[in-house]
Amino acid sequence: MHVNKRLVGAVTLGLAAALVMTACGSEAPAAGGDKAAGGGVTLKLVAADYGDGPTAENSGEKFWKGVVDEFQAANPGIKVDVQVINWNDIDKQVATMVQNGQVPDILQTGDYSGFVKDGLLYKTDEVLSPQTSGDLLEKFAEFGKVEGVGYGIPFVSSARALFYNKALFDKAGIAEAPKTWDELKAAAEKLKASGVSQPFGLPLGNEEAQAESFLWFMGNGGGYKDASGAWTVDSPANVEAFEYLKGLVKAGLTTPNPGTKNRKDVWADFAAGKVGMVNGGPMSIPIFEKGGLTDFGVAPIAGKTGPLDTTLGVQDWIMAFNKNGRKEEIKKFFDFFYGGTAAQKISDTYKLLPVTKSGIERLSSDEKLKPFLDALPNATFYPFQDPKWSEVNTQIKQTIGSAIDGDPKAVLGAIQKTATAN
Amino acid sequence: MQQTFTPGRVVRALAPLAWIGPAVVLIAVVVVWPVVVMVQSSFLKISRFGVVQGSNGLDNYTKLFAEPDFGGVMTRSLVWVVAVVVLTVALSLGLAQLFNQRFPGRRFARWALIAPWAASVLMTAIIFKWMLDPEVGLINMIRRNLGLLDALGGADADPLGNAATAMPWLVFVAVFVSLPFTTYALLAGLSAIPSDVYEAAKMDGASRFRTYWSITLPLLRPALVVATLINVMNVFNSFPIIWAMTHGQPGYSTATSTIFMYILKGSDIGESAAMSVVNFGMVIVLTIIFLKVSKWRTEVS
Repeated sequence: MHVNKRLVGAVTLGLAAALVMTACGSEAPAAGGDKAAGGGVTLKLVAADYGDGPTAENSGEKFWKGVVDEFQAANPGIKVDVQVINWNDIDKQVATMVQNGQVPDILQTGDYSGFVKDGLLYKTDEVLSPQTSGDLLEKFAEFGKVEGVGYGIPFVSSARALFYNKALFDKAGIAEAPKTWDELKAAAEKLKASGVSQPFGLPLGNEEAQAESFLWFMGNGGGYKDASGAWTVDSPANVEAFEYLKGLVKAGLTTPNPGTKNRKDVWADFAAGKVGMVNGGPMSIPIFEKGGLTDFGVAPIAGKTGPLDTTLGVQDWIMAFNKNGRKEEIKKFFDFFYGGTAAQKISDTYKLLPVTKSGIERLSSDEKLKPFLDALPNATFYPFQDPKWSEVNTQIKQTIGSAIDGDPKAVLGAIQKTATAN
Repeated sequence: MQQTFTPGRVVRALAPLAWIGPAVVLIAVVVVWPVVVMVQSSFLKISRFGVVQGSNGLDNYTKLFAEPDFGGVMTRSLVWVVAVVVLTVALSLGLAQLFNQRFPGRRFARWALIAPWAASVLMTAIIFKWMLDPEVGLINMIRRNLGLLDALGGADADPLGNAATAMPWLVFVAVFVSLPFTTYALLAGLSAIPSDVYEAAKMDGASRFRTYWSITLPLLRPALVVATLINVMNVFNSFPIIWAMTHGQPGYSTATSTIFMYILKGSDIGESAAMSVVNFGMVIVLTIIFLKVSKWRTEVS
């Protein structure tokens, strides 16, 4: 019986431990979800990193910490936990969170449409006050709608233009930025002759191949979709654009093996004075300046027969998940973000364009941002409202660069097949 | 013997559980459970945003096998494993033999060999990527100074830019990081061989080659089998080297099945899970084949 007693003791102890652990386990959500309990609400915010990584001066962690500290000081009952993830991983990590049922309350990333179909998001008017939603540019807010109902809230935007290194242009004897493909090739040849190793910076690697390709498609009147909304990835205009690029690459006038080169590295090479021209956006200005290059010009992107009258506009999004039912707190956070200094700070830190009327007004005097602000009203966007876009985008990022070595018709055809498959 | 069901007996019977319990739980949670979820996921339709939309039957597998790049990726994975493991083991056999000799500075040389092992694989891969950068890469600068390269910045200075020149570099880095472990495993095996067998061979007048072939290699077999097997599994699942250096690009031309699985995760989680299951099966098949071929159970006669 002696042993037996000990056994009983052990079992009791085990049960007690189990109970304690269960109690601890169930405490966390209760504290988070229930305001009446006297504690605060903790909002989980997941955001993409616009800076240069966790250790950089401009890291997303630092930016959001500044925003959150200010917000928490003004709203004592609400805590915000921020998780910043780099652009390469954020989609996969968020998908994993959703799959495991651990959705954030607020997500800031490049796409929102995929969450709408499954009913995971709050509608815009549930989490935005009238004055905040009234300040958003209508054209942008329009893209946040699926079947007439707003779900995605515009966060920041950007537009693209051609950057050129003035010193290298002078040295090569080029008077002005090229306007047509022929002029671009002639300028690239002159740059090459004057000793520039990469006359045209061409990043078609996985980071942002979909943007660079789109700009070249536009230059030939092409695009991912036609005016009626049908996929046209392998249209003759697009194939011709890649045939032209192929010629440039073969002649050694671009970044070598563009299908493996990322925009970040090509921009760094431009900043280092090794690239003559490159397509970039307002967000590349701080990168170039930090790299020591200030003497650059900005011009509209060259097309086959003349400069583009449109450009690629990119909008990023912020959205609210409805799983945890914290729309009042989320609304407070959004009003704080758009109404206060936070939205301005993000434009200032990363040279991204604002999405509110008040923000655009405030920046209109900035000399360097002006070409981009002017281009915004005419911008063309990715077909991201199409549910197929995310899958097509993944394939573009990985494979479109191989059209340079291979057969453009075949590579673009394979992407078209994915886009039109059921 | 009489079997009575007394409490004391039960406790004694359960006692081993207290010792192996934690390990069993750990294996169940860390190994078995993920495998179960992986296999389950491969039969589910999951949106790119992580929402499970119900069963998908065998569609994930059909889609995977129909991918135009699937065949190339699987062949490349096999070539990758064979190339890296064969080179690693061959070089390690030599290195282990060398380090088993007495020579001045042996202690230092043995320590130096650990360096590639001590550094993170990802870090090593990124360092090699930068050393091969077309504009600023150290290896390219040396090549230029030796007159092997005309100018920096062009396609000639970009070995990682196309598959034909990138693969050998990837294999090189993989061998580089695998050498320390393999060499040390073989070195341990070598030092376990008793010296009297060598003395006997010497008395019989065996040549050096003959001694190595008939004594060292057979006695080294247990260490060799274990080292090779661990390498096969490691290299097959190797991710950071290729991911950091080429991202599997251009296209999928430097991607192995592990890289392919990760990229698929960006567009179709179910299909990606199917790729994981195929990968898992491949590792098991490779292991079985290897164990059969190496006859690991048979004793040295």
